[in-house]
Amino acid sequence: MSEESQARLEALLSDALRPIEPPEDLVSRVEDTLTAITEQAAAELSSWAEEVSEDELDALRDPRNWVRPVAAVAAGTLAGGALVVVSMRRRRRPTGLRASAESVLRSVRPD
Amino acid sequence: MTDRGTQTVSKAELDREFEDLYRAHLRDVYSYAYYRVGNHHDAEDVTEQAFLQAYRHFERARRESNGRPLRPWLIRIAHNLASNYHRDRSRRPVAALDAVEPPSHPHGTEQIVEGREELRMVIDRLDRLSDDRRDALIMRFALGMSNREIARALGRSDGATKVLLHRAIKQLEEEMERE
Repeated sequence: MSEESQARLEALLSDALRPIEPPEDLVSRVEDTLTAITEQAAAELSSWAEEVSEDELDALRDPRNWVRPVAAVAAGTLAGGALVVVSMRRRRRPTGLRASAESVLRSVRPD
Repeated sequence: MTDRGTQTVSKAELDREFEDLYRAHLRDVYSYAYYRVGNHHDAEDVTEQAFLQAYRHFERARRESNGRPLRPWLIRIAHNLASNYHRDRSRRPVAALDAVEPPSHPHGTEQIVEGREELRMVIDRLDRLSDDRRDALIMRFALGMSNREIARALGRSDGATKVLLHRAIKQLEEEMERE
């Protein structure tokens, strides 16, 4: 393969495999999914807390029974984090002219 | 707070970093997914799942990256998801022809038609390559990844990746000349 033909093929590949702009609604779709995860985790944590009886509280004093609460706390932590991400994105998302300007800047900015 | 030896990073800081990562590489992940699965609908699914997985494992990935860019890690997640997509549905990717548009610089009509035919042929011949060769070309030309980044995304050595790319281009040229 000559250098010239390789350069030509690479130029063709660059042209054929252009970056694809994601659709506008994808961003909100990902946010919605994150929100759903956080709500589900928070609901699970809440229902678990309501279900705990006196006997179960006694049982929880035994470290061998700590797996479920620890898992719930981990889920809650993940949920809290995702909420922060979602809220930050909502707070920062520009609208109108600024959104258009940022979109244009994104499209011309080299990676 | 997360204790990482000498450095302690708050959850809020991690989330801010993840948001930056998401903003910086959404187009990369989406482009890669699109060229792998061949349609916008499934590319959105793969992209969404990739970022959800990335969010779950972000802290560990950040810790283990030792400051290296996380784009190869993100693309590797998308790569695995796209592979699962093809395995589960026993599909081959559809050529992404609707993404190929005429060049933006001025051309005569004949040149544009001829150019589009060549692009169509390139996309078609890409589908004849093995998965790893096609993936390497997508990463190089659609995402502009370096050999090292591609190597990390594919879990190969730098040398093996250089050979992979060379053979992919060589085979593609042979496929183009065959017609």
